[in-house]
Amino acid sequence: MATATKQHGGKVGHVTQVIGSTFDAEFAEDSIPAIYNAVKIDHESKGVSVHLIGEVQQHLGGGKVRCVALGSTDGMVRGGTCIDTGGPLSVPVGKETLGRVFNLAGEPIDNRGPVNTKERWPIHRDPPPITDLSTKTELFETGIKVIDLLTPFVRGGKAGLFGGAGLGKTVILTELIARIASAHGGSSVFAGVGERTREGTDLWLEMQEAKIGDTGRSVIEQTCMVFGQMNEPPGARLRVALSALTMAEYFRDTTGTDTLLFVDNIFRFSQAGSEVSALLGRMPSAVGYQPTLATEMGALQERIASTSKGAITSVQAVYVPADDPTDPAPATAFGNLDAFLYLERSISEKGIYPAVDPLASSSRILDPQYVGERHYKIARRVQRTLQRYRELQDIIAILGVDELSEEDKLVVHRARRMERFLSQPFLVAEVFTGKPGEITSLADTIRSFEEIADGKWDHLPEPAFMYVGSIEQAEEQAKKLAAKK
Amino acid sequence: MAKARALDRRRKSVKNIRKITRTMELIATARFKKAMDRSVASRDYTLRLAKILANIAAATAGGAGTGSTLGFSHPLLEVRPTKRTAVLILTGNRGLCGGYNSNVVRQAQAILGQWRSEKVELHTAVSGKRGISALKFRGVEIDERYLQFEDKPEFDQVAPIGRAYLEEYSAGRIDRLDVVYTRFDSIARQATVTEMLLPLKAPEAPSGSARATAAKAAAGGLASDDYDFYPSAQSILEELLPASFMARLFKCFLDSAVSEQVARMVAMKAASENAGGLIKDLSRRYNRARQSQITGEIMEILGGVEALKK
Repeated sequence: MATATKQHGGKVGHVTQVIGSTFDAEFAEDSIPAIYNAVKIDHESKGVSVHLIGEVQQHLGGGKVRCVALGSTDGMVRGGTCIDTGGPLSVPVGKETLGRVFNLAGEPIDNRGPVNTKERWPIHRDPPPITDLSTKTELFETGIKVIDLLTPFVRGGKAGLFGGAGLGKTVILTELIARIASAHGGSSVFAGVGERTREGTDLWLEMQEAKIGDTGRSVIEQTCMVFGQMNEPPGARLRVALSALTMAEYFRDTTGTDTLLFVDNIFRFSQAGSEVSALLGRMPSAVGYQPTLATEMGALQERIASTSKGAITSVQAVYVPADDPTDPAPATAFGNLDAFLYLERSISEKGIYPAVDPLASSSRILDPQYVGERHYKIARRVQRTLQRYRELQDIIAILGVDELSEEDKLVVHRARRMERFLSQPFLVAEVFTGKPGEITSLADTIRSFEEIADGKWDHLPEPAFMYVGSIEQAEEQAKKLAAKK
Repeated sequence: MAKARALDRRRKSVKNIRKITRTMELIATARFKKAMDRSVASRDYTLRLAKILANIAAATAGGAGTGSTLGFSHPLLEVRPTKRTAVLILTGNRGLCGGYNSNVVRQAQAILGQWRSEKVELHTAVSGKRGISALKFRGVEIDERYLQFEDKPEFDQVAPIGRAYLEEYSAGRIDRLDVVYTRFDSIARQATVTEMLLPLKAPEAPSGSARATAAKAAAGGLASDDYDFYPSAQSILEELLPASFMARLFKCFLDSAVSEQVARMVAMKAASENAGGLIKDLSRRYNRARQSQITGEIMEILGGVEALKK
């Protein structure tokens, strides 16, 4: 044992038990690796070589520790050596990481050679102290009408995209990358957590094609991507978000630029945590989730923060299992966000994309103090109209629209137009909609909705409001529709 | 539980609505039968009156020997260029009858708009709360409102209105009267129509227009032999023409009343069915939500038990 210690420069133990993607290892009583330390397994038996990193999660007593495997445990055998690396898992950080694709351990997976950085940072870090946190609140314009009007994003804040399966979370996220990253000066970090590998590849290729403004450089040159997708064991999916976050933190703390962090999908982080928790023998809590759900989420989310040195603006997709937003996983993520978009199935069924529910979505800064009196009033007016329409829907379904009072008929008339006007052609969805993407300025958005609410466009037919930018385009589309007839 | 409870509450409210619509349907059915009987009774009278009128017209035409025109003139038959027109719009006092009121309002608006664009002075009278509020909302000026007509309009109620119109017309203060109402053709068919009541069209005989009858009468001598007029045909016609106008106006009111009940019957039947469908759908969703919640809780308890066993 003593010789082994010298050879590897760390304390050496051996594997005593393998349970799925967790394993137990035994070390000398006086040299137990600390919690969250990474332990390395490099051994070969019967022609099968195993290279694996594990993370210490529990001390079981008697020199035994329980670890989560951050890679596949296939081929592991009891008695294999296990080396304490003396610290948590660390990832390379720095300018060199831009344009590259990594796995959670910071190893490049894009076949473009090794990444040599001056520094490596451990993935477990403390959130910035409260005295360093930035209190600036500034609206972050996206050019997407429904977002800018009803759920304005905060520069240096966190936004969440909630939605069930197949409602277009990834499409909106990709769209935001296309819109923000291409107009953005700083660096971006993308974390692919437990989603389809194919989507990650698509995104990578798309980023190579997309150009930043007029500079001729592609978006990928300012972006680093970290993937731990569906095919990876739960340990990897649990930690990949931290790896990506660590890289983003470096850009924030050292370069001082605004950094963008995209996470798709934060629910997989909770899900992986729940798998690991069960394997570690913790008692399941509500709906079978880990009892530490809120703690884990809080530890991650608190680190995504803007400080006086630099800002991290993050957009996170959150899968909502069975379209039930009261499920503990999305509910826990919800509380940490500045702006949240809730994607609704009934809206996507109407063919309106982005299928953002204008009543369930909201933003912390939709407040006259931040967005101004006019923006606030119009946003609330739109929501009131749509709310009334929703209340009337049962009556309409039973009695028909003729039974409504004249005022309510007008509300329904305008609400149906607003509902459609909230749709918008996307840059990345041009192949689906057949229309080039529209970037609508906030001023245009506010003016358009004000005019609809005032009844200036009551005469246009409903289809004219589908998939247009500003209201003038709706007018044009109405003319085209009329010409077709 | 939040979702299941919300669904249950919604289902309860839909059930209450269905109770109302079903009751309304039954009431409308009963009222429809009564209104229908009255309408049929008056239709016979109106038809008979028109027949007599036509015969007399034919007889006098023959007597005057003009052949193709009526043999007399009457202020109610006189067609004048329209400078000031009256429009009477018949709607219901109550809703819950599908498109009945809104169809009339829509048609009325078209007529009013047309007159307005021709710069004709308008006198607008509206019967029924629904029509009054709908037109007021659309910024239409209403000169006269009637709220007294329910499902059984009485002749005594209609008569003063008719007399007022006759007087106005004779005095030349209005040149035309249009009535917008829902004509009752059959139980399956009602049509929203605009009918010109003044100036009176030349009386129609069941077999064709008065003029044709008159021509026939002049050629072959139809009914003239059956009538002895005292003191004269002209004086009798002067009595009969206003009476015919009244009968026609009264029929408009009766038709409206019947149509309203039919419309309500149909609308409420559809509403009850829709509510039934909605209840079915809500029940299914409620049961599913409740069941999945129970399943979830059982699983949690079992999971806890299993975990404690170790």
